[in-house]
Amino acid sequence: MAKDAVGYALTALNKMASSDLLDRLGLRKLAERMAYTLTRTGFQVITTSARTFKSAGTPNRPQRLNTPGHTTDLFDLNITDEQQMIRDSVKAFADDVLRPRAEAADAASCTSEETVAAALELGLNFFAVPEAFGGAASERSPVTTMLVAEDLAWGDMGQAVAILAPMGVANALTQWGNADQQARYLPAFASENPPKATLAVAEPRPLFDPLQLQTTARRDGDHYVLNGTKSLVPLAAEAELFLIAAQTDDGPAVFIVEGGTDGLRAGEDPSMGIRASGQRPLLLDNVRVPAAQKLGDDDFDYRAFVDLGTLAWCSLAIGTSQAVLDYVIPYCNERKAFGEPISQRQAVAFLIADMAIELDAMRMLTWRAVCRAEQGKSFRREAHLARTLCKEKAMKIGTDGVQLLGGHGFTKEYPVERWYRDLRAIGVAFGGLHL
Amino acid sequence: MKVLVPIKRVVDYNVKVRVKADQSGVDLANVKMAMNPFCEIAVEEAVRLKEKGVVTEIVVVTVGSKTAQEQLRTAMALGADRAILVETEENTQPLGVAKALKALVEKESPDLVILGKQAIDDDNNQTGQMLAALTGMPQGTFASEVNVADGKVSVTREIDGGLQTVELSLPAVVTTDLRLNEPRYASLPNIMKAKKKPLDTVSPADLGVDLTPRVKTLKVEPPAERQAGIKVASVEELVDKLKNEAKVI
Repeated sequence: MAKDAVGYALTALNKMASSDLLDRLGLRKLAERMAYTLTRTGFQVITTSARTFKSAGTPNRPQRLNTPGHTTDLFDLNITDEQQMIRDSVKAFADDVLRPRAEAADAASCTSEETVAAALELGLNFFAVPEAFGGAASERSPVTTMLVAEDLAWGDMGQAVAILAPMGVANALTQWGNADQQARYLPAFASENPPKATLAVAEPRPLFDPLQLQTTARRDGDHYVLNGTKSLVPLAAEAELFLIAAQTDDGPAVFIVEGGTDGLRAGEDPSMGIRASGQRPLLLDNVRVPAAQKLGDDDFDYRAFVDLGTLAWCSLAIGTSQAVLDYVIPYCNERKAFGEPISQRQAVAFLIADMAIELDAMRMLTWRAVCRAEQGKSFRREAHLARTLCKEKAMKIGTDGVQLLGGHGFTKEYPVERWYRDLRAIGVAFGGLHL
Repeated sequence: MKVLVPIKRVVDYNVKVRVKADQSGVDLANVKMAMNPFCEIAVEEAVRLKEKGVVTEIVVVTVGSKTAQEQLRTAMALGADRAILVETEENTQPLGVAKALKALVEKESPDLVILGKQAIDDDNNQTGQMLAALTGMPQGTFASEVNVADGKVSVTREIDGGLQTVELSLPAVVTTDLRLNEPRYASLPNIMKAKKKPLDTVSPADLGVDLTPRVKTLKVEPPAERQAGIKVASVEELVDKLKNEAKVI
């Protein structure tokens, strides 16, 4: 009501103010003053009278909105308290045990028995085996496994691969093995002296495609006969149990092959990086495997098997990239040139900032893929995205790490040289960059 | 036999602490917290005694904020059986904590209390001794070896110039030094099990103790930065500086 009244009055006043009549009568000044005063008091009336505020009682304390309840799955990247404790424990192990031994393990091209024994204290093997077989796993936990991989690789990627390879085999048996296969192999993994085990998927050829394997499995009665060459097989010379991917007439399949089987031989091929994993080519020359050793029944998901392996490599890359970042920041803040820390130079600071951004991107893509895998959703696309980014950026972070340390980075006196070689492996594991 | 292991949540030993701008204390915003390393050694010792069959139950306890539950869970992942949190938002100080522990000792009647010799945040090195004095229990501080047998505990102590072994009748208070043991890593299965172990929360009022700080912090300052060294050109210059600047010869 008040608004309308003021509105009409103002319209009338404005009309009057713009009229020539005022000038002719010499009344302009007076009219303008009236319009001004009325407008001001009129609006004051509106603002004070149009609304009355009533208190809804006096609560004891101000009301604030809570953070939303846990997990709507979209962009919830929090980890649970247990996962955080696991990370703390694994990282302490990586710091105390893996790091000091990394140089020697790299030089020796193998992870020492003491390190493997020390890693047993973490109980990773029990964590991969269901309770029914003496393990401690009650639910699938790819996310936790990936966090473990990341933190171990933060210590040293080579030794991390040697420690994780048996866990990968146990996880695959738990997820896809049929009742007989589980009963035969899983209890050993939940013992004080778990077997050395490893996976063999990659092959030494251009544009390797895990869906079109050159290693063949030919059916021969109640056996399969495996022929071909596998590359980048961790623990190849010492493993007691292998999971080997080979092409059957019905497409790719995975076979459980025990160490010492006739025709199975580890080649000689010292790799450039992740040497502590003892990875070598694995040569298969008419390896006869009972048909019952084909992993899983009809529900075996080869695609998921390959993609989870890919994501494990992504997690390893993230861990070692984090190690590089954690190393170069204090180094560049302390290393002085031209009278100031080199981090004061933008060329250096930008490189480190890029590293941090790329690392977070790698981590988020990988976590999203693994998170979907854990929830039983399709994660093929997400795994591919994570892999493509990790391959490119992990290598870049490795190179930049060496570059930031300059001449020091090029020597074996600083760990970035080894990290560079390890991260270089990510670019070739599971095929080339441009697959 | 029951063991009580008091622990403390402190800034992780890897963290470089910074003093707050108003000099009221150390800046704790976004700083990684962890169990005090000496407390880890105490938990480890209790767990080893349990593995030897000497101890049947390990109760871990802390006086602090709700967030200290994390450290209690860690202790349970390392092998403690259950936990008690005396929840307070007060700045905890040795005497107050010792009083709260005394109340818990009366409630739980443990045969042995093992705790770290000091916390790495304020380095007081008082709580164990105060607890022994308040409860009248014998104390063996700075332990580098602990043996329990026949209702007695023998404690090898690290003292100036050597080792001293004392024998205490139980119940007793033992504080741990660095060389007593090397704590294990919490294993994944034990971390998962820790989730299911009981954690009770009590208030200082429940225990009838007052945790109001008795000591007032006036100012916290970082230590003075060390001056960079210099190079001397000759032995004469060195001797001159030692004589006239450092005044050590």
